[in-house]
Amino acid sequence: MLSIKDNLEETLKGGSPDRYVNQWEYMDLVIDPIFATSFVPYFTPVGPEYYKNGWGVTITFPEGAPGSHPVHGPGYTVLEDVTQWENIVKPSPLDLPDEAWKDVEKAAKDIRDKGEKHVSLIMAQGVFERVHYLMGMENAMVSYMIEPEAMHGLIDMITEWEIESITRNMEHTEATLLFHHDDWGTGTNSFLDPEVFREFYYEPYKKIYSHFKEMGGELVVHHSDSYAANLVPTMIDMGIDIWQGAIDANNLQDLAKTYGNKIAYMGGIDDAIVDVPDWTPELVRNYVRAQCDKIGTSSFIPCLTHGLNFSIFPGVFDEITKTIDEVSKEKF
Amino acid sequence: MSGELESVKAAITAYKFKDIEGIVKNALDAGVDPNDILNNGMITAMTEIGEGFKENRIFMPQMLVAAKTMQKGVDVLKPYLKGGEAAYCGKIIIGSVLGDVHDIGKNLVAMMCEGAGMQVTDLGADVPAERFLDAIASNQDIGIVACSSSMTTTREATKKLAEAIKSSKDGARVKFMVGGATMTQEFADEIGADGYTADATSASKMAKGFMGGA
Repeated sequence: MLSIKDNLEETLKGGSPDRYVNQWEYMDLVIDPIFATSFVPYFTPVGPEYYKNGWGVTITFPEGAPGSHPVHGPGYTVLEDVTQWENIVKPSPLDLPDEAWKDVEKAAKDIRDKGEKHVSLIMAQGVFERVHYLMGMENAMVSYMIEPEAMHGLIDMITEWEIESITRNMEHTEATLLFHHDDWGTGTNSFLDPEVFREFYYEPYKKIYSHFKEMGGELVVHHSDSYAANLVPTMIDMGIDIWQGAIDANNLQDLAKTYGNKIAYMGGIDDAIVDVPDWTPELVRNYVRAQCDKIGTSSFIPCLTHGLNFSIFPGVFDEITKTIDEVSKEKF
Repeated sequence: MSGELESVKAAITAYKFKDIEGIVKNALDAGVDPNDILNNGMITAMTEIGEGFKENRIFMPQMLVAAKTMQKGVDVLKPYLKGGEAAYCGKIIIGSVLGDVHDIGKNLVAMMCEGAGMQVTDLGADVPAERFLDAIASNQDIGIVACSSSMTTTREATKKLAEAIKSSKDGARVKFMVGGATMTQEFADEIGADGYTADATSASKMAKGFMGGA
């Protein structure tokens, strides 16, 4: 039986894996202090209160919600007019005391010493999300068309911040995997026309992902739980190895045929179908099996499309894991 | 269609946000009927944009800029429109359900409804059922409520909202529509909603259909 990392490698290169890579099994996420400061609050609902993250964005994470969300409107939106970004936007701090890195250094070392999984950095929000967190979605969308020059300037600044964040993280963690969270679409389409997306985001992401790999990183996993099949060529060119969150609407079986092993798809198990209040083990089992049958084994990592390694409704994630193991025994 | 009217339509379909005011003024100066500018210039243009969006040929930035271009044009046109409020083809209440802070989908529906000539009362996001009920009760001329629900965790709130509206004294006269990332026709049927649509353009069409103007 291949190790977790070797099985992943075989899957990515189109070799001979001996089972499905099972959801997030190859990734051990570490929480670095730059992420913690720039993203507060993360993972845990904080009730009805509003918090400001390191970029000055007001965040809410109500009880029962699957994740945090920016608050916009008068008095909340950081950047109303993108042409003013240089005067208004203050990046989250990167200069943190050595003491702040102690926990993540230890966590990374423990994972490295075990050798089973990749030490995985989390970068969230990504550049695209950072823009609309600062501006509000509508304002950002409109500004791509009305103020493209200023948008490029803002995106470049966020990109440089991410690159610097990676530099500091790599010095402390020697991570081998970057998990980057940036939703690029809805359930039916990408937010941006693929040409516009390429115009604004290809170079910035290429720089970020190249920098990570130049510093010793091995894998880039990008999360977007949306339709984004039309962006796959750009994803490949950017240097994304695994697209996590790939929902069924992308027709993953067709993408695998078209693009071979240039990129892998980690998803196919839509949370909208199974991570629901009235889920049952039977619902999960039948759906996971049907999706594995439909999508096949090439370039496919079956996984709940949610952007972290748990389900909203307790039990769903574990049932998926169990079923993938069962299906693996039949298919490999 | 006159040249001026064609220019108004083209300004919206070509996203001429910065030019629309002058183009509408030119059409008015040339003697084009203001209601003709609205109905056959602007609304026709937004219908084309909406169809393109529904078919994934047009993307969110274009859709939003077209809608904002139209809004800017309507602001110029408003003082000249005959019939004031009667120029609207109908009215609709819209909002995201309690617990759902997403608003982009809801805003797109609002824009498409406005683009189709409706007057929209937008309650915002994370709206308690009581606020929907108050808005219905205090707007007796509004017969359609559309709610957005984007997360599996807000299905319960959507179900409760449907029950609250249907059991209210205004329930019989109100059509209740749902949409959002995790909504389905099956779920809409289960909670007794009058309609479900998967995209903003279809929502606007359905609402217009309920108003008798499909």
